[in-house]
Parts: sequence; C-alpha cells; structure tokens
Amino acid sequence: MEATQTEQKYNFEVVRWFTIMAVVYLVVGTLVGVLIASQLAWPVLNFDIAELTFGRLRPLHTNAVIFAFGGCVLMASGFYSVQRTCSVRMWSNKMAWFTFWGWNTIIVLAVVTLPLGITQGKEYAELEWPIDLMIAVVWLSFAFNFAMTIASRKTSHIYVSNWFFLGMMVMITYLHVVNSLAIPVELFKSYSVFSGVQDAMVQWWWGHNAVGFYLTAGFLGIMYYFVPKQAGRPVFSYRLSVIHFWALMFGYVWLGAHHLQYTALPDWTGSLGAAVSLAMIIPSWGGAVNGMMTLSGAWDKLRTDYILRFLIMSLAFYAMSTFEGPVMSAKTVNALSHYTDWTVGHVHSGALGWVAMVGAGALYHMVEKLWNTRMYSASLVNMHFWMATIGTVVYITAMWVSGIMQGLMWRDYDEFGTLTYTFAESVAAMHPYYAMRAIGGLIFWAGGVVMLYNVVMTVRQAVSQGSSSAAAATA
Amino acid sequence: MSNLKEYFHTDWAAMTGSDWVGLITTVGIFLLFIALFVYVLHPKNKTRLESKRHIPIDEDDRFDTEDKK
Repeated sequence: MEATQTEQKYNFEVVRWFTIMAVVYLVVGTLVGVLIASQLAWPVLNFDIAELTFGRLRPLHTNAVIFAFGGCVLMASGFYSVQRTCSVRMWSNKMAWFTFWGWNTIIVLAVVTLPLGITQGKEYAELEWPIDLMIAVVWLSFAFNFAMTIASRKTSHIYVSNWFFLGMMVMITYLHVVNSLAIPVELFKSYSVFSGVQDAMVQWWWGHNAVGFYLTAGFLGIMYYFVPKQAGRPVFSYRLSVIHFWALMFGYVWLGAHHLQYTALPDWTGSLGAAVSLAMIIPSWGGAVNGMMTLSGAWDKLRTDYILRFLIMSLAFYAMSTFEGPVMSAKTVNALSHYTDWTVGHVHSGALGWVAMVGAGALYHMVEKLWNTRMYSASLVNMHFWMATIGTVVYITAMWVSGIMQGLMWRDYDEFGTLTYTFAESVAAMHPYYAMRAIGGLIFWAGGVVMLYNVVMTVRQAVSQGSSSAAAATA
Repeated sequence: MSNLKEYFHTDWAAMTGSDWVGLITTVGIFLLFIALFVYVLHPKNKTRLESKRHIPIDEDDRFDTEDKK
C-alpha cells in the first residue's frame, strides 16, 4: 500500500509521537536506573542531596521505564495495530491526542513529585491521589478509544493481539482504581483505605498484576502482531494463542500472594499463589513457543533481519523469566530468594530481556512503516541488539550471584546457633556484583542511546527524502 | 486413604458467604476452561480458527483490494 493511501486510511500522527517519546523515555528511564545502580555500588554518588538519593530516584526509575517507556510503547503499538487489523481509522483522533498529552503530563508530574519525596509509598503506585485520578481518566480515554475503534471495525474477526490489549485495559483499570483507593488529607498527601495485611495483599495483587497485565498481556499483544508482521509469516498456531489468552487472563490474578510468603498473610494464600504460579508456566511457555515457532522454516531471517532478532530474543527471555518466577514463588526457593537481589535479577530479565526488547523490535518496525523508509543504519540496529543482550545478561548474572550469596549468608549459622555473618558483611560482599550490575545497565543504556540516534537520523532522512508521511510527522 | 479423607475434609457449616462466592467462581472458571479447551482443540474448529492467523499478514493485500474498489 502506498504511503499516501496509508495516511488517508489511518491516523498515524499520534502513533508517531508516542513512538518517538517511547525511545526518549527508554534512554531517560534507564539512565536513572544506571545512576541508582551506581549509587548502590558507590554511595558517594548520592551527593548528600535528598532529591538525588536512591530512595527518591528508585521510584522515578520504575515509573519512567514502566509507565513512561512502557506506556508509550503500548499506546503507540496499540493504536497502530488496532487500526491495521480492524481496517479502520482510529475512532477519535482528538481523544488519542488527549491520551498523548495527558499521559505525558502525568510523566512530567512524576518527574517533579517523586524526587521531592511526594509519594504514597506503594510500590509501582507511588504517585499521589490527584495524579492517580489523572491516570485513571487518561487510561480510560486510551481504553475507550481502542475499544470503539474495534467496535467500528470493517473486519469480522477481532485479531488476538487486540484481545490481549483489551484484557490489559480492563484489568489495569480495575487494579489501578482498587489499589489507589485512598483518603486525601492534603493536595499531595493521602492515606490508603487498606491497612495491615489487607494493604499488603491488595498492594501485591496490584504489583504482580501490573507485571502480569501491563508488562505481559499488553506486550504479548505487541508480540502477536509484530512477530508475524516482521517475519512475514502467520503466527504458528492461532488455537494456541486463544488458549494462551484465556489462561493468562484467569490465571495471573491469583499470583500476587506469592510476594508475601512467610508473612502475616494466611499460609494457604501463599501456597495457592505459588501453585497457580507454577501452573502458569504452561500457558506462558505455550505463548513463547507460539511466537518462536512462527519462524519455523524461516530461521535464516534472523541472520539478516536485526529487528526480528529483538523480537525473537525477547521471547527467549520471556520463556526464561516465566519459568524462573514460578520457581522463585515456591516456598522452599522463596525462603532463600526473598528480599535478595535474585528478585531484582528476575525482574530485570523480564523488564530488559522481554519488555524492552519486544518494545524495541516493535518500535523499529513502526519507525520504518510510519516514516515509509528504512532505518538509517541497519548496523546500528544490530549494535543495539548486542548491547541490549549483553547488558541484560551481565545485569542478571550479577544479580543472580549476589542474590544467592545474600540468601546463603543471611541464613548461615554456626554450631552455637549464632548467625555467621552480620548484615553489614553481606552488604560488603555484594560490592563487586553491584559494580557489575551498574556496568551491565550502562551497556544497556548505551544501546538505548544508539537506538535514539538511529531513530532521529531515520526521521531526518525520511524528511529529506520528502516522504509525505514524514513531512506530516514533522508538521 | 484416611489421610486423604482428612485432607479433603471440609466443614461446610463453617463456610461464609465469601467462601461460597470464591468456591463457585473457582469451580465455574475451571469448568469454563474445560469448555474452552474442548472448543479450541476440537478438530472441526481447526480450519476456522487457524484461518484467523493470517490477518496481520494479509492486511496490506486486503486493504489494497478495498482501496481499488
């Protein structure tokens, strides 16, 4: 289809802006991550400035990579793929722009409030109540526009990627609203309506399902559209994708309790969370195999198509982290792994290896399509791929070693029943691994910088070539 | 056997409203899952379901055709 026809048929302008902002936020969010990782290895980098300390910047890092980068990737790819698979323009252009400006305003507010220490203290839900309300409104505008675009489709069937996106939208709305229920006492101070063990349970019901629905279901929607599209082959099994979807939707919501093993939560709740976590290996691996086997008979494409490499490598990390997570949720393993850096390593094998890699693959794909050109440098895409892969592996390896060491040191005791190591000794033992983690993160961040440069040069190249779509993008 | 009986013993009289809602929901979802697996994996549905996997690949051709109409 010619670029001009595509422009007439769809509304891709807002998609272009979400795409650019996603790449910018990838660089910014991981830069803050590298800084706080370095602060753990070299505390002098806290500079004795409250706004720059680890405690203030850590939530800024998580919000930047999850909601700024992840959100913009989801909104770009969601708005892009729903129009194409439904063969219809976006339902409301104005509402899409409201979503864009609203989401970016929320990100700016997070950048201002979190370093100032304005926080609800709930992990991955730190933003205070006025911003929570904004999130709910803007998120619903995204969901409503997406659903109405599907409702006005010209095709009979709703493709599976749209099911995953819709599942994410429904569940994240529900999770965000319930977990954020709070009583405001000032403009930027509120208290959760939950307390004690109920608060912990609701928090981790949200926390794990933010991973399950936002970072997994949403990004699986990306996978089910962009892997077949980039490979030029249909997904391996549509029936498997249907089972994958429903198993994920009904399975994931049970898992949150596995974050609270050996706490005041009733013992059976943690056991149930662990049991369902282990059961979730089946649909997760089914989905990973479904994505990878899409290349069946065309594996040679991986030699030349660097964008496809991102997408397939991300599935390898998805399979790995969806096996590791359930194993860590089992009580015996959890007794060793909980509160250690192993958890941090696990999270980053999912965040860097799965979310960021599948996101980068989708972004590269969209940049070529949206600006109707080829990437400025395929070699730089390849360089980014290797930097992302090596950075991720260095990071998670360091955290595995340090996490298992921590767990073993904390539980070790002598013949008199006295702990062998002090906590300070375990902290000192972590230093080389924290330095190694910072280096892994730095490599990953540098890969993001390479991507940003390549994307900027690609857009400039498209503009100089006089592509109509590119001209529209820069208008 | 007695251990199994003991393990699965339930004091039905002590079940609260929340317990019943949870139990019925859980069993209901389990039964729906069985129905889903039967539907998806039944050979007669294979062709119809698998034909949908071409949607992203065929979209450009489909749109080109529509534009020419």
